[in-house]
Amino acid sequence: MTEQSSPERARALRLEDLLGRDIYDVDEEPHITVDYEKCSKCDAKPCLYLCPAGCYTLSGNRVLFSYEGCLECGTCRAICPMGAVRWSYPKSGRGVFYRFT
Amino acid sequence: MRIVVGVKWVPNTQAVRFDPRTGTLIREGVPSVVNPHDLQAVELALRLKESYGGEVIALTMAPPSAREGLEHVLGMGVDLGVLITDRVFAGADTLATSYVIAKAIEKISRERGPVDLAVFGQETIDSSTAHIGAQTASWLGWPYIYYVTSVDEVGEGYVRVARYLEDRVERYELRLPAVLSVAMKTFKPRPVRLAYKLRARLEEPILVWTNRELGLDPRCVGLRGSPTRVAKITFTPEVPRKKLVYKPRDADDAVRWLVEQLLKDEKASKILRAVLGGG
Amino acid sequence: MGFSATGTPRFDVVVVGAGPAGATAAYLLARDGFRVLLVERGRGAGSKTLYGGRVYAGPLREVWPDLDREAPIHRWVRVERLSILEGERGLTLEYRTPKAYSFTAYLPDLVKWMVKKAVEAGAVFVDEVRVDSLLVEGGRVRGIRAGPDRVYADVVVDAEGVNRLLLEGAGIVEPLEAWRAPVALGVKEVIKLGEKAVTERFGLDDDRTGAAWVIMGDATGGLPGGGFIYTFKDTVSLGVVLRLGEAYREAGRPPLDSGPYALVERLRLHPLLQRLLEGGDIVEYGAHLTIEGGLAFMPDHLAYDGLVIVGDAAGFILNTGYTVRGVDYAVYSAKLAAEAIKKSLEAGDTSAENLRLYEKLVRESFIYQELEKHWAASKLMEEWGTAGKYPSIALRAASRLFEAESRHPTLWEAFLEALRASRATLLDAARVFAEVVRGL
Repeated sequence: MTEQSSPERARALRLEDLLGRDIYDVDEEPHITVDYEKCSKCDAKPCLYLCPAGCYTLSGNRVLFSYEGCLECGTCRAICPMGAVRWSYPKSGRGVFYRFT
Repeated sequence: MRIVVGVKWVPNTQAVRFDPRTGTLIREGVPSVVNPHDLQAVELALRLKESYGGEVIALTMAPPSAREGLEHVLGMGVDLGVLITDRVFAGADTLATSYVIAKAIEKISRERGPVDLAVFGQETIDSSTAHIGAQTASWLGWPYIYYVTSVDEVGEGYVRVARYLEDRVERYELRLPAVLSVAMKTFKPRPVRLAYKLRARLEEPILVWTNRELGLDPRCVGLRGSPTRVAKITFTPEVPRKKLVYKPRDADDAVRWLVEQLLKDEKASKILRAVLGGG
Repeated sequence: MGFSATGTPRFDVVVVGAGPAGATAAYLLARDGFRVLLVERGRGAGSKTLYGGRVYAGPLREVWPDLDREAPIHRWVRVERLSILEGERGLTLEYRTPKAYSFTAYLPDLVKWMVKKAVEAGAVFVDEVRVDSLLVEGGRVRGIRAGPDRVYADVVVDAEGVNRLLLEGAGIVEPLEAWRAPVALGVKEVIKLGEKAVTERFGLDDDRTGAAWVIMGDATGGLPGGGFIYTFKDTVSLGVVLRLGEAYREAGRPPLDSGPYALVERLRLHPLLQRLLEGGDIVEYGAHLTIEGGLAFMPDHLAYDGLVIVGDAAGFILNTGYTVRGVDYAVYSAKLAAEAIKKSLEAGDTSAENLRLYEKLVRESFIYQELEKHWAASKLMEEWGTAGKYPSIALRAASRLFEAESRHPTLWEAFLEALRASRATLLDAARVFAEVVRGL
C-alpha cells in the first residue's frame, strides 16, 4: 500500500493513518489468539479502549480481534480481565518493524 | 535432487510512501524483505527435499545487503545461498536478470552436480512482471510451468505438477530438468528455526559471485543488456473511500449489511431504488 | 564448529533479547573470551525496540569508552523543560546548562551499534528467532527452547524486556496483570520537521543540542501518567505514558473513549505545542510498556540456578516524574551481571549462590539505591499523581499571578488560593514538599 504524504494539518489523524506510517511484515499466522468463550463473558471490555493499535473492535456486542496492526506492546494481555488473550510475539522476525523509535 | 530457488530482495513496498511534493518515493529507512511470493517457492523446494532428499540452493542477484535475505531462507532450512553481486549487473531488466540466473544455474550444475529443478515465485511485489521463470527456462532450454499449486510426484527424469485454475485443474508431466513458478499463497512458508539460523551464522554457507566468477559478456548483462525502457511512471490519485469494515456472521448478514450501507448513501440508494423499482 | 540441525549446540552463555541489556551482556562476556549466543526475535537488531528518546551517557561510557565518538547520537540534551497543562493554559519551567549528561538517539540505531560491538567481540548473533521457553532440567535453567530446537548453556541471561513471557513460563514471576503490576503504556509519534526547524522551534543553540520536555497535568487528560517530547536530529518524538492500573479502570470513559492514540493526537494539537509541530510529517507511530515503580516489578531474585535477569525484565526503569532512565540502567545492570557471570564461569559453578553476586552488586550500585530512594516519591505520585493535584496547584498559582487585571497577589497568596482551589490543605502540601525534597 502506498500512501500519500502531506504536512499534517491542525486536525487529529485517524488511527489508521498513524498505523499507515509503520512498517509491517505481517505473518499469515496470528501471533495472538483470543478465547472468545471467555471474552464473551466480559462486560468491561477494556481492550476496546486501551489497545494502541485498535486491534480490538466491537461488532454487535462481540469483540473482534485482528492482529495485523499489532504494535507488540503487551497491553491487551495485561488488561484483559478474563485472561482470554493468548499472547505471544510473531515468529521469523515478522510483525512491526521500528526504525525511529 | 538438487533444487535452485530464485529469490529477490525487494523493498517492503507496503512501507514505501509517495511524496507528492517531489514526485518521488520516500524510501528512507525502508527495509528490504525477501519477496513474499518467493518464500512460497522456497517452501515448495524444502518440502520436495524432505520427500526426495537432495539439497536446496537459494539464488539471488542483488546488492551485498541481500545477504540478510539469504540468511532468512537459510534459517528456513535452505542448504546454500548464492549471492550474485556486481556493479556490472546493476540496472538489469528481466531479460538481463534471467540471463545471469540461467548462467548461474549452469555454473551450479557444472560445479556441484546437475540441477534438477529451478523454482520461482509467481511474481515480485515491487515490479509484478512474472517474467523471470519463463525467461530463465528459455535461456536454459528447459520445460516450464507456471501457477503451480502442487507437485504430485517426482520420478526418474520427470516431475508431475498440477495447477488449479478458475474452472479446471490442469496436470502436467515435465521432463527434468525443469522450471516451475508457484502460484501465490499456495505454499505457506515455514518459520525460521534457531538451529538453521545458528548454522547459517557459524558456517556462513553463502557463495558470493561477481562477474569474475561468472565471466559473462558485459554487453548482455546489467543496464547494457536490458532492452526494456520505462517511459514514465504515473501515480493514480487516491480515491476517497469510506473504508468501512464489517465482519459478517454469514452471507445473508453480509448482504443485509451491504444493502443497508448502500441505502444510507444518497447516490447509491438512488441507483438501487431505480433498479429495484423497475423489477 | 559443526552444528547440525539435529544436534544440541552448547554455549557458555545464551542471552535472550538483543536490547540494550542483552547486547551489553553479550558484548562484555564475548570480549572476555566466553562463547556467547545472542538471540533476538526481531529482524536484525533493534527492530522491535521503542523508548521515549533520551539516554544518560555516564553508565554507557563505562562499557563503551568510545561512545561519544562512535554511537549514533543525535543531540546532547542541554535544555530541560517541564510543563504543566490545564485546558489551554500552560506553565513551563526551562532549565539550560552548557554541560550535557544525556543524549537523544533512535534506540533501533543505538541497539544496532551495540550488537555490532558484541559481534565484533565474538558473540554469535541470531535474529528472527523467538525463544519460546527456558529449558529447565533438574531444577535449574540449562538453556533455551525455540520451536523444535534447543540450545544449552551454563548461564542464560534473560533480557526479554517488560513482557516476561519466559520468566512467567518458568514460574519465576507472576503473570502481568495491569491492576496489580506497576506498568504503564507509552504511545508515541515520531514527527519529521527538518534539522533547522527542530533547532529553531525548540530554541536550541545548534544542531547538536537537544531538548527533553516532560509534560504534566492535562497531557493525559487527567489520567495518571504524563507526556514527553524529545528532539532528534531532524525529528521529534511526542508521546504519552499512561499508568495501566488507572487506565484500566477508566477505559471507555473520556478521555479514554477512543484509544490511547487520541491522547497523543490531542497533545500534538494542544495550543502550547501545535505551532512547534505544525507541518511535520509523522513518520512512525509506536507503543511499548514501561515500568513505574521498578522495585515492585523486580523478581524475588535477580539470579537463579543457571539464570540471570537484566534490564526491563528485572524492573530496572527509574521514573521520577520529571525524568525517566531505562537504557542506562539496562546497560549497567548487564555490566554487573557480566561480572558475576564471569566469576561464576571461571569458578565452574553457575548455581544461584554464585550468580547472586550480581544481586549484591546491583544492591551496592546506583540502580538499586536510586530505585529505592525514589520509591517514596513514586508512592506520592500515585497519591497526588503527576497528572493530579500538585502540578495543578502550581498552574493555578501561576494563573493567579499572571491573569490578574489590576490587583496582583503575592506569591504566597497565589499559592494559598491555588491550594484551596485544589481542595488540598497546607499540611498536605508541606508533606508532599518534604517527601519530594527528601526524594530529591
